[in-house]
Amino acid sequence: MKKITFIIATLLIFCSFTADNKVVIPSGEKLVYAGSYNMSGLMTQLAQVTMSTETQSTSKNTYLHLNCELATFSKWDKFFKIRDIYEAYVNPTTLKPSLYKRSVDEGGYTKKEKYVFKGNSVTSTSKKRNNPETTRTFNIGASTLDVVSLLYKVRTIDFSKMKSGQTKSFTIVFDEKEIPVTLKYMGTESVSAGNLGQKECYKLSIGAKTNKLKGTDKNLIWLTADAKKVPALMKFSIPVGTGQLALTSATGI
Amino acid sequence: MRKALLILSFVFVILSIVFSILPLDTLALLPIGAALILIFITFKKSDTDQRKLVKWLFAIAYICVIFVLGKTYLIKDEVEKDQQFEQQKIETKQEAKKELEDLEKDLEGLE
Repeated sequence: MKKITFIIATLLIFCSFTADNKVVIPSGEKLVYAGSYNMSGLMTQLAQVTMSTETQSTSKNTYLHLNCELATFSKWDKFFKIRDIYEAYVNPTTLKPSLYKRSVDEGGYTKKEKYVFKGNSVTSTSKKRNNPETTRTFNIGASTLDVVSLLYKVRTIDFSKMKSGQTKSFTIVFDEKEIPVTLKYMGTESVSAGNLGQKECYKLSIGAKTNKLKGTDKNLIWLTADAKKVPALMKFSIPVGTGQLALTSATGI
Repeated sequence: MRKALLILSFVFVILSIVFSILPLDTLALLPIGAALILIFITFKKSDTDQRKLVKWLFAIAYICVIFVLGKTYLIKDEVEKDQQFEQQKIETKQEAKKELEDLEKDLEGLE
């Protein structure tokens, strides 16, 4: 159970960086990944991860809904079915979150979380399977974001001006607390990007002050080195193993 | 020695069959690989007239390899259409809209 949570947390924690606000994440974008986990030395495809965006309007505001879903492939469902949703409702321009929600259903283990961002405070509500719901309010920094919006925010950064080895430090909210995250730019590499073909990518290493990530420069993300900065490949190393997310399809970018 | 190897080979061939049938993807290659190594050693340790059973074990392990690789490369991984999950997504979205509107009211009250 913890493995899955670690994997998802790792993937979502992957990015935290300052942004160049000129780049806008489009509504209607859909990125599909094949999630693999290293089982006894063999990379085994376990699940499909879908990241999509759409516009959500209320009577007063318009938000960008960032949605990240994880679902096991049908062949695994009878043994260990996973249906997770991580989502954030953010300002379409700045990607500052107003609401972050997490719904986890992993082989019968369920957990729901909700974070409501009110200025410099967050009210979190958490409900685990049979446990009573807990609510907590805590203060955050002005630039603290949730993990989903950070995953998109990384794409608004101008890496072309960064030098290999250059780092940036940031803060995200996860598991009802703030977590400092460090990003290291590691140059460019060519990787396969699903239907986009072979692409030159920015290689980035992520480090977080959390027990969810393991090793130095073992948690990596490759973003296409173009205006879209689509995450083409993500590799993670966690206490219980390693895995990767490989882009299979990108539409609406 | 040969008998022990034969028993081990037999056990790993059974494991290979079980792993091949279960949706364990390439993970099934682990017991198959072990079975093939054990079968090979057993084969070498066997006299010519003792090799019939070993050959059968090899054939079964070989079929398992073909079966697992066939499943891995020919069958496309797909996510099943899950009505309950789809419904959950719709409900979550509706809840989120209400929560955002509540948040907007709260923020208005603060101003």
